[in-house]
Amino acid sequence: MNGNLNYIIRRLIYLIPVLLGVCFLIFILFNVVAPDPVNMMLGKHPTADQIIEVREQLGLNKSLPAQYLDIVKSAFTFDFGRSWATKQQISTMFMNGAIPSLTLTIPAFFIATFSSIIFAVIVAYFRGKGVDLFIRVTCIAMMSISSLVYILVFQYFLAYKWGLFEISGYEYGFPNFLYYVSLPILIWVVLSLGPDIRFYRTLILDEIYQDYVRTAKAKGLSERTIMFKHVLRNAMIPIVTYTVVQLPFLLLGSLLLESFFSIPGLGDMTISALNASDFPVLKAMSIVSAVAYIIFTLIQDIVYTVVDPRIKLQ
Amino acid sequence: MFKFGLSIVLATAFMTIGCTKKKNYDEKVLLRNVKAKIKGLDPVNAGDTYSSREISRIYEGLLEYHYLKRPYTLQPNLAESMPVVSDDGLTYTFKIKKGILFQDNKCFPEGKGRELKASDFVYSIKRMADTRNISTGWWLLDDKVEGLNAWRDKYSGKAANYSDEIAGIKALDDYTLQFKLTTKYPQFLYSLAMVYTFAVPYEAVAMYGEEFLNNPVGTGAFMTETYKQSNKIVYVKNPNYRDVFYPSEGAPGDKERGLLKDAGKKLPLVDKIVVNIVPESSPRFLSFENGDVDFSEIPKDNFESSVTPSKEVTEAFKAKGIELEIVPDLDITYIAFNHDDPLFKNNLKLRQAMSLAYDVGRSNELFQNDRAVEAQTIIPPGIGGYDKDFVNEFAKYDLKKAKALLAEAGYPGGKGLPTIVYDTLATTLYRQSSEFFKKCMNDIGVNIEVRQNTWPQLVDKTKKRKAQMFGMAWLGDYPDAENFLQLLYGPNAAPGPNGSNYNNAEFNKEFEAAKVMQPGPERAARYAALAQKVAMDVPLIINLHRTTYILKHSWLRNHKFSSFEHGNSQYYAVDMDAKEKTIKSGVLRMNHKKATAKVD
Repeated sequence: MNGNLNYIIRRLIYLIPVLLGVCFLIFILFNVVAPDPVNMMLGKHPTADQIIEVREQLGLNKSLPAQYLDIVKSAFTFDFGRSWATKQQISTMFMNGAIPSLTLTIPAFFIATFSSIIFAVIVAYFRGKGVDLFIRVTCIAMMSISSLVYILVFQYFLAYKWGLFEISGYEYGFPNFLYYVSLPILIWVVLSLGPDIRFYRTLILDEIYQDYVRTAKAKGLSERTIMFKHVLRNAMIPIVTYTVVQLPFLLLGSLLLESFFSIPGLGDMTISALNASDFPVLKAMSIVSAVAYIIFTLIQDIVYTVVDPRIKLQ
Repeated sequence: MFKFGLSIVLATAFMTIGCTKKKNYDEKVLLRNVKAKIKGLDPVNAGDTYSSREISRIYEGLLEYHYLKRPYTLQPNLAESMPVVSDDGLTYTFKIKKGILFQDNKCFPEGKGRELKASDFVYSIKRMADTRNISTGWWLLDDKVEGLNAWRDKYSGKAANYSDEIAGIKALDDYTLQFKLTTKYPQFLYSLAMVYTFAVPYEAVAMYGEEFLNNPVGTGAFMTETYKQSNKIVYVKNPNYRDVFYPSEGAPGDKERGLLKDAGKKLPLVDKIVVNIVPESSPRFLSFENGDVDFSEIPKDNFESSVTPSKEVTEAFKAKGIELEIVPDLDITYIAFNHDDPLFKNNLKLRQAMSLAYDVGRSNELFQNDRAVEAQTIIPPGIGGYDKDFVNEFAKYDLKKAKALLAEAGYPGGKGLPTIVYDTLATTLYRQSSEFFKKCMNDIGVNIEVRQNTWPQLVDKTKKRKAQMFGMAWLGDYPDAENFLQLLYGPNAAPGPNGSNYNNAEFNKEFEAAKVMQPGPERAARYAALAQKVAMDVPLIINLHRTTYILKHSWLRNHKFSSFEHGNSQYYAVDMDAKEKTIKSGVLRMNHKKATAKVD
């Protein structure tokens, strides 16, 4: 236990150099590569004097090390100030965006993951038979269609023509949000099934051909016992790796779905910030993403120890 | 495992069945979608069309545009009457209406909205000048009001003292407001109908501070019930709104179109407005077809299914009771030469050749569904200075003449001419239109390299004068040709609005003389002559004046499109019985044949 705690503390300390590196990258990107944000802020009729005034106010006239330190300070205090484009408090924007994103991505992700694993177990169980072939061919067919087609077709038929769902929009609070996220969740699930089933099937089949499975069969264990007690448990390590690594991205939402279903999530917020050279918002998103990524990889390591008690965190 | 799988299937099935909200027909609700997020509801930051439209539902100014009259006509709003203007044209004195109340808000004593005073305008205009507010509207009054620039400079970057007196803006008493201008500026009155100068109460700014932009307190017909800037805004009637009535006169044809049926009725005519932010055009239009919104613009991809080649609504939509409104926009799209580049600055014939090689008509068909008007000068239809009979000999497509002029310019067949870089946006439509421009130029031997940019990159390049050629559109700030001609005025060069950096001393001088003339036929003639003369110098490749096509459901009354849609929603009426009947009949979801049969 002590070892685990030490490991967790050590990993959290790693956050510091990683954050400093992220801040440096952000600093380079916005001070060297990105276009001047002041031109975006002043609209159609800026004057040269106004540009100077605004640069002063935003701290863009400070020395480069001072600007870097400002970024570092906001990364460690999580105080990102206000958006330059909308003048809204970034923490409020973040909260208002995270809720819709998560109400869409978390249920969608879990439904997609569990149903994919179930289908993958089924096709692995019936490997080489008609069911396996049918599901594999269906998966490839589903993957061959662009996600935009799913969105447009589902929106047109399921929402508009048959009136089963709301066409677009979002309302905060339970159960109101369900009316608006149901269709995008369904599309997410349909989009994920193809690649996920094939991926999990491969993982399970890799295990099925291991020596211990042959031994279990020789011992006379049933196929069902081998599949659920041995194969699936061993396949969980790569499944956890694949699954947990996706979790931080759930926070960032789904750009395409959010955009087409008018869900005011973080994906949509990030793109709007990019289109407006909204440096503070982009800075906040980059830092939060980096922190989330590190924390989720730590969670991944901890889950490994639960799935396979032989693994120790050191 | 089986049970677990079953529960997932059931959960999914539960979510997929009956996931629509019940529609409510009890209240008169106006429903509309907008494509851009609302930046905030502070008038001094009303820099984009979408935000200023929302702000104007809550706040009001001294003047406004008459809802129905065209050409656009200013009339008093919070002012009692149009101002008294001194003989020298520099002093404007306004009387403010008495008894106007701000909406109730906790920023006022006991939460009761207080009366609007002349000093509220003094305060509001100072807010616009305050550098800390970074107002995108400062250009309107920059160097135009006595003492205002000095006050702004005095407090640049620090907390301003709003009790300082400014000679150019004075509240002579509670109901009298006086402006003293530094120079003749007839466009000044338009600025008082623009959202930037609308009245805000100092109590609200003091109470909400930086959050004032999310807590609007105005005198307008509506006030916010819900405000989520990237999602939805719900407005309800402002109970303190004064008696304002639907106009009894309008433009020719308005009566026949039923736009005067509600004449004399007290405004607003709806109880509530719900504005949803829907960035993508496809769901925006589907929502309209579904009856979730009352009117909609027509996306490019839906144009052919909505409008016939003879510019009428299609039979399918007609059967659903949908009507079409076509209105020219006050705008110009153009392709700019950067006149800092000696290649263009010193070569009129090259500019003329490139203008003649550009097939504007085909561009209209390909990218505007043939709904725009081919521009002849920089001045659009609908304002003084537009001459419908003028034909610009360099704005028409003439390859033969273009090739001849290119040769005269010293580049026969394009030989010796370096490749020209054309900067554009990295979106499908702009990419396609850039390729079309490239093809047109290739036809005479001019090589174009298209570079794609994000919007901030393109703005950055133009403001820093780094773009050699680029496409741009200009939407009028007010209905005065001065606002279009200033795009060519030398002192307005980048970072100002003259992104082409065109600088012609003769034009500058004539423009300066024309813009200070009082509005009227004489000034319009000067504007027209100026626009036509400068067009011969081909400072830009002028392209199109776009036209707005709007589809409206049968239950929406009184909708008249305006390029300056400030506070117009109070005039709209929604017949909820007709709406309920239409939606419940299912006709909106039917295909053409079924809908026609049902109506028959």
